[in-house]
Amino acid sequence: MTAETIVRTPTSNRLKTTSLNNKMVTEYWDDLFSAKEDGKLVCWFEGVSINPLLQTMDISWCHGEAWSALLAAKKEEQPALEAAEERGYQRELCSYARTHLGSGVLTKNNQIPGTPNHTEMAGRAPAPDMIISAYPYCSTGQQWDEMLYRLFGKKVPVFNITLPYIWGNQKNDTYMHGEDFEDAVKFLTKQLRDCVTFLEEVTGKKFDYDRLGEIMQYTKKASELRLEAMDLCIARPAPATFFEWSLSIAPVNFLPSGPPIVDYFQKLKDEIAGRVDAGIGSVPKEKYRLFWDGIMNWGKLGWMAEKFANYDACMVAGRYTHMGFWQEPHLIDCKDPLEGMARNYLVCPINHSAPSMIDRITALCEKYEIDALVMHVARTCRAFSNPQYLIAQQVSKRIGTKVCMIEGDMIDPTFYKDELVNSRVEAMLEAIDAKRSMI
Amino acid sequence: MNLYALGVDFGSMTAKAVIVDQEKRVVAWSVIDKGVMIEDGAREAIADCLHQAGLTFEQVAATISTGYGRRKLDMAQRTITEITCHARGANAMFPDCRMVIDIGGQDSKVIAVDDAGHVQEFAMNDRCAAGTGQFMGVLARALDVPLQDIGDLSLKGGHDITISAMCATFAETEVVSLRAQGTSTPDILAAINESVAKRTMGLVRRVGKRTPIAMTGGVARNIGVVRALETQLGEPLLISDASQTAGALGAALFALDDARRGIKAEPLQPDFRGEADRFVEPGGKGGCKPASLLIPSDPVA
Repeated sequence: MTAETIVRTPTSNRLKTTSLNNKMVTEYWDDLFSAKEDGKLVCWFEGVSINPLLQTMDISWCHGEAWSALLAAKKEEQPALEAAEERGYQRELCSYARTHLGSGVLTKNNQIPGTPNHTEMAGRAPAPDMIISAYPYCSTGQQWDEMLYRLFGKKVPVFNITLPYIWGNQKNDTYMHGEDFEDAVKFLTKQLRDCVTFLEEVTGKKFDYDRLGEIMQYTKKASELRLEAMDLCIARPAPATFFEWSLSIAPVNFLPSGPPIVDYFQKLKDEIAGRVDAGIGSVPKEKYRLFWDGIMNWGKLGWMAEKFANYDACMVAGRYTHMGFWQEPHLIDCKDPLEGMARNYLVCPINHSAPSMIDRITALCEKYEIDALVMHVARTCRAFSNPQYLIAQQVSKRIGTKVCMIEGDMIDPTFYKDELVNSRVEAMLEAIDAKRSMI
Repeated sequence: MNLYALGVDFGSMTAKAVIVDQEKRVVAWSVIDKGVMIEDGAREAIADCLHQAGLTFEQVAATISTGYGRRKLDMAQRTITEITCHARGANAMFPDCRMVIDIGGQDSKVIAVDDAGHVQEFAMNDRCAAGTGQFMGVLARALDVPLQDIGDLSLKGGHDITISAMCATFAETEVVSLRAQGTSTPDILAAINESVAKRTMGLVRRVGKRTPIAMTGGVARNIGVVRALETQLGEPLLISDASQTAGALGAALFALDDARRGIKAEPLQPDFRGEADRFVEPGGKGGCKPASLLIPSDPVA
């Protein structure tokens, strides 16, 4: 048997339904690549999921982070990173932004007659007809649209949505409650209405709020099913992992809303419920239950799933997956959805302050009976990593969870050092063993 | 019949081995410096220990390896991370310690431990080798001073010089520049020690200072760093002549636990049998039963 023919049996027991997600994602990107040929306008946007507004107007979209994540997952990010570096963006800057900007460089070069044609995947995103930024907290995110604007010759219309950071500093402020929060909701809702006007101006078409309501019905239903399925993972062994929830972000983040995404989460929930009944875990010999804090390392999703499964460690939940992406669907009134959308956008997992975040993470750790936190410190995402020491310290103090900090990045593979990760994770698991031996 | 257990710390720069008997007494220890992750170094340290103890490998009931090369050592029954092993080893050396500062070749760690030597929390250097033994080695080379001499020499310095770079490569550039400006070697070394101590203090703050504090790892042999750390901590550090072997000692104690629980040794590698006899000059820095390593009691037992 040659080395090439050796197939390693994976330790993790991945949910079969997730393969449907892969199919939907592939179809989505294929549709985007041919959007211009199909006579559609294309919007490049970053930040929270404003795509229901675009879908209402039949605009195709390229979500910067999703596009970068896809390139990383397919090991196709290097041409974009190199193009961004050549343009002058250094490697400490957000790798989502760098990849998207680099991809923009390749796309733009492809438009110039006589220049080398970039056939690599990173050069296949169709050029934008409009750019929208709706970035919470992160400073790079809030400037990303203007950088793209310059890149495409200052000719593409831009709209910037500002999401106020939720400090929760007033007396009696709690998660999603308080005067400041309500002010922020009003401020953001007004901007969403202004964004609608912007889209009307760019397309020359009237915005159909009834259609937005229909679209949001599917998003709301899919999100409710997702949360119900997540709730089932309190079971031991957990029937799904954080890594499977990461895979399943696309339908509630950037895929078009509609019956397929509802069908996906219904099937996912059914499969998970079946596993709970049969006592089947996503990690067959679940010994440890962990929580992932931080953004996903998209180039290492499968790798990480296997790594932790090999330690018999189930990454049951995470801040990225369990505190974001229409995480409060009950607030969406499909007859008048903008305000509910704004409320969801404002509490994405980097936009509320550490005390609120710590409360939410502690509650999740208690709910899922978590033994330890794995803090993935993404080198180029300050927005996620800024409060991580505080979170680690406080959650550990409150409920005694063990902690390890590992480093990497959401896109750039050069920031990941496997042996350093191994030592930290193994030491944390040994500390859990020691703690258990004393009980 | 006496029971012996072996712990091997296969580090990034040096290999350490410790043999303990059933009473948890250190029978032999050895430190071999063969450079970066050379398997011969680990084998030599083991052979040296066996030679000192008058044992063959067959007489060792269990072996555990730790350190960055831990998985490379086939003769070990299992591996345990150096974090867990340093905690236990330091606890065995200094039962009262509640915090361990371990600065090794490739990383520095600060570990909070309980009275049984269990890891409570830990923090490690991130991203690069700043503040580690490797960092000291690079800068010693830039100054053309033997590594073993930098501690004593640094105590003669102390003028107000700062090494601001945390990256070993950039710090080397800074050192070269200071030399070019005519700054004395002891002053530069003192500044390097301050820089390492400052870096380590960041980890201490992250974990939360607990006392008494023990120091383990190769850099514990550098008196300059020890003094700089003590000044910044405002505390004396607990250090033994054999502090560098704390990880291997912890591994040996875990191996002894395994042996007592009846976890049998795997068949030996054929090419390793009797290796001890083949090393005429072990070459390691070691010895038998230093007083500071006799372990009166082990609360883990």
